[in-house]
Amino acid sequence: MSYVELNDIRVSYDNKTDILKDLNLSIEKGELVSLLGPSGCGKTTTLRVIAGLIEPNDGEFIVDGKNLTKVPVYKREFGMVFQSYALFPHLTIKENIAFGLKLRKEKKSSIDKKVKDILAITGLGELGDRYPKQLSGGQRQRVALARALVIEPKLLLLDEPLSNLDAKLRVAMRIEIKRIQSQLGITSVFVTHDQEECFSISDKVAVMNKGIIEQFDTPEEIYKNPKSEFVARFIGFENFFDLTPIEKGKYKTVDGTTFLSTRQWEPGKHIGTIRPDDIDIVSNTESTATNTVSGTIKVRTFLGKSYQYEIETSIGALLVNEVDDVIYQVGDTVTLMIPAHKLIIV
Amino acid sequence: MRKNAGLQIFAWIVFAFLIVPLIIIVVTSFGTNSTIQFPIKGFTFDWYGKVFNNESFMNSFYLSLEIAFIATVLALVVGIPAAYSLARHKVFGRNWIKSFFLSPTIVPGLVVGYAVYQFIVIQFQFPIFQGLLLGHFLICIPYVIRVVGSTIEQLDFSIEEVSWTLGCTKLQTFIKVVLPNITSGIFASFMLAFINSFNNIPVSQFLSGPGVTMLPTNLMNYIEYNYDPSVSALSVVLMLGTIVLMFIIEKTLGLTSIS
Amino acid sequence: MTQQRRLPYIILAPGMILLIVFLVLPLVSIIFPTFFDGGFTLTHYISFFMDEYNMSIFWRTIRISLIATLFCVFLGVPTAYYISQSPKKWRGLLMSITLFPLLTNSVVRSFAWITILGQSGIINTTLKNIGLISKPLTLLYTEFSITVGSVYLFLPLMVITLVGILENIDSEIMEAAETLGANRFIAFMKVILPLSVPGIIVGSILVFTGSLTAYTTPQLLGGNRNIMLATFLYQNATALGNWKGASVIALIMIAATVIVMKLFDWVAKRMDKRGEASA
Ligand SMILES: Nc1ncnc2c1ncn2[C@@H]1O[C@H](COP(=O)(O)OP(=O)(O)OP(=O)(O)O)[C@@H](O)[C@H]1O
Ligand SMILES: [Mg+2]
Repeated sequence: MSYVELNDIRVSYDNKTDILKDLNLSIEKGELVSLLGPSGCGKTTTLRVIAGLIEPNDGEFIVDGKNLTKVPVYKREFGMVFQSYALFPHLTIKENIAFGLKLRKEKKSSIDKKVKDILAITGLGELGDRYPKQLSGGQRQRVALARALVIEPKLLLLDEPLSNLDAKLRVAMRIEIKRIQSQLGITSVFVTHDQEECFSISDKVAVMNKGIIEQFDTPEEIYKNPKSEFVARFIGFENFFDLTPIEKGKYKTVDGTTFLSTRQWEPGKHIGTIRPDDIDIVSNTESTATNTVSGTIKVRTFLGKSYQYEIETSIGALLVNEVDDVIYQVGDTVTLMIPAHKLIIV
Repeated sequence: MRKNAGLQIFAWIVFAFLIVPLIIIVVTSFGTNSTIQFPIKGFTFDWYGKVFNNESFMNSFYLSLEIAFIATVLALVVGIPAAYSLARHKVFGRNWIKSFFLSPTIVPGLVVGYAVYQFIVIQFQFPIFQGLLLGHFLICIPYVIRVVGSTIEQLDFSIEEVSWTLGCTKLQTFIKVVLPNITSGIFASFMLAFINSFNNIPVSQFLSGPGVTMLPTNLMNYIEYNYDPSVSALSVVLMLGTIVLMFIIEKTLGLTSIS
Repeated sequence: MTQQRRLPYIILAPGMILLIVFLVLPLVSIIFPTFFDGGFTLTHYISFFMDEYNMSIFWRTIRISLIATLFCVFLGVPTAYYISQSPKKWRGLLMSITLFPLLTNSVVRSFAWITILGQSGIINTTLKNIGLISKPLTLLYTEFSITVGSVYLFLPLMVITLVGILENIDSEIMEAAETLGANRFIAFMKVILPLSVPGIIVGSILVFTGSLTAYTTPQLLGGNRNIMLATFLYQNATALGNWKGASVIALIMIAATVIVMKLFDWVAKRMDKRGEASA
């Protein structure tokens, strides 16, 4: 049994449509798990179920062997970092951070020490006596983190904590969060819709779609082996085409060409997908050879480090990124090579 | 999904406190007994007939409408340009002048009425009607300054500048660009001023004479000597008026705009 | 260019003149004589404050206004919070329930309490019918009835002022407090209440100064024995024919209003540590 378990969680706000449909998730102690998915897929809802801000219609939520499904939010002792930070505007930074400790009726000396320590860890040292309005966005974000961490939560929940920061600060803060999280060994759930952010920070990623988890794996696994078309699309596979499985590792395209793939295949899967980076443009190859297809260049876009070509082929339009010195023109006919070890079947 | 039973009960007791007394009035207006009773015996519309046939009530009703309407319009005519000027122009002592325009709210209504009565009616021998009108103008002007003023402040100044660059004079711009964009504020302040003028008692209390008595004052005087359901019936008529106004406001501006 | 600079004053002039001629001058004309009796004098004010009867009216007015204000805060804050937390489609209805009394004539609203509290009013009839009392209780024409009437008159104002403030408080703040271990009640007391202080103060100014200068409620619900400042002014000016006395009371009412406003503002500034007046 895992440290945190969500079993068959169902949530509906209006008792008509299910926002979460029998969602299952297991998190090991000390892990940082991300919920990744497009807007409206139910990430925040999942996090709020974990926090206890929403009671699920069905299913159970277990931490450390204890069923917490009906335990009210204020008794769960989880730290939560809100997207808006939700700092108390009428309290100083120190008072904000001490809020949870005071409710636990800790001794003043112990509170002072803990607040001081967490201010140091989060790099807020001198700012303790200011009010939230007097801080920058990044500083506020740290206060929100410090306030959630100082109660030594069993679980740390972060809902898009970086989305209000500018690009540079986001990168700096995510490194910071990862550092503090692993330093303190706090089991964490991190919500984001930014895949780079997600991959860089997480031990495991749950890719969500319309209230279910499509894939739950390490970032590397998800990047390399998406299990469904949705996951593949979401993490940057842009080329999709129908294939007919013939035998293990061997497929036929709609125009009869044989495509080989060294990647896994599960019965029922019949869509080939590959990243634009992984397709090669080759000249002088017969278009009937295996794993090749020919087509005409329709659009060329300069991306900086490479050119992107949109190529009309007999198996559909394909996007190809090429760094080559050879620059093709719109209207050129080219042959595309789809490497067997890069072709994924979903 | 997350309800708090204690808070809910508390709030609904308060809502009951706010609304039940008025419902009681509605019920008592249908009683057949010649004094007010609750629960009522019998059922009749007679008291409504009595109200509409009471010449004194009807006259004061028309007077109240007339005064409230003219006072409000006068306040708009004087107040809208003033509010615009305070919002847009560099005026020396701007905050002070604004407070001055809002000052009738600080002076208690009865004192306003008393002062106007002493000065205008007694000393300068103005007719009571004019006194009433001025007193009610004083009630209305702060609403215009406040509501129209904040609407103008929220209006993007650059649309006026664009209009100037396109060749409109300042007056044309005010009429063609500013006014059409602040109609909701003007309407809201009209409603607020009208309702408050119509309902006001203290200001009119001194300003009353033979044939010139505002409806609320008239009703109040009537209550001191009578305790019959015609008071309830008239109250219900006034409440219906309130409902109609609230409905108009809700449909045009939304109720939140006047709160 | 000079015409440009004069324009605003030309626009402001009509309103200013009307206010000066029909508000300031009348006020001065009634207040001025209270300071002159041959020469400059404060005797009218000193004797007002030395007179026991006058002072009993003064303190009654303060007392009733204060109690009404406290009740409006006590009843208004949770109710406003409830409204601000309710779903959008309900909020309109709840706001209407609150606004409706506010927009209804205050004579009507006071009259409602006559029918409830009077000798043969609803409370007395009900209590008699179930046999709890044999003689009617004296509820009407007491300080109690004025206080109830004042709370009834001004509670909507308090609620509406507070809803405006509470709606702007990020709901995640309440949730943050809960995740940190505060139950609903504690979170309300420690977070929502302090954040609504600016609204409570604005509302309290409205209720307190409103009750302090109210005329209709004490007139209809107070009777002859429970006179307040406004009714006292009216009595002086009409029945007693004491113009100067009425003017003295007028200035006292204005002064009390201004002092209360300044006092509350001062409290608000001291309590609002964020350096901003609104939440
Ligand atoms: N309080 C609510 N009442 C009704 N529906 C809601 C409520 N909160 C969320 N929803 C709906 O539930 C769905 C999931 O919402 P959720 O906030 O969990 O999405 P999300 O994945 O966090 O999206 P985002 O990335 O935009 O934050 C959405 O369709 C949303 O409209
Ligand atoms: Mg979300």
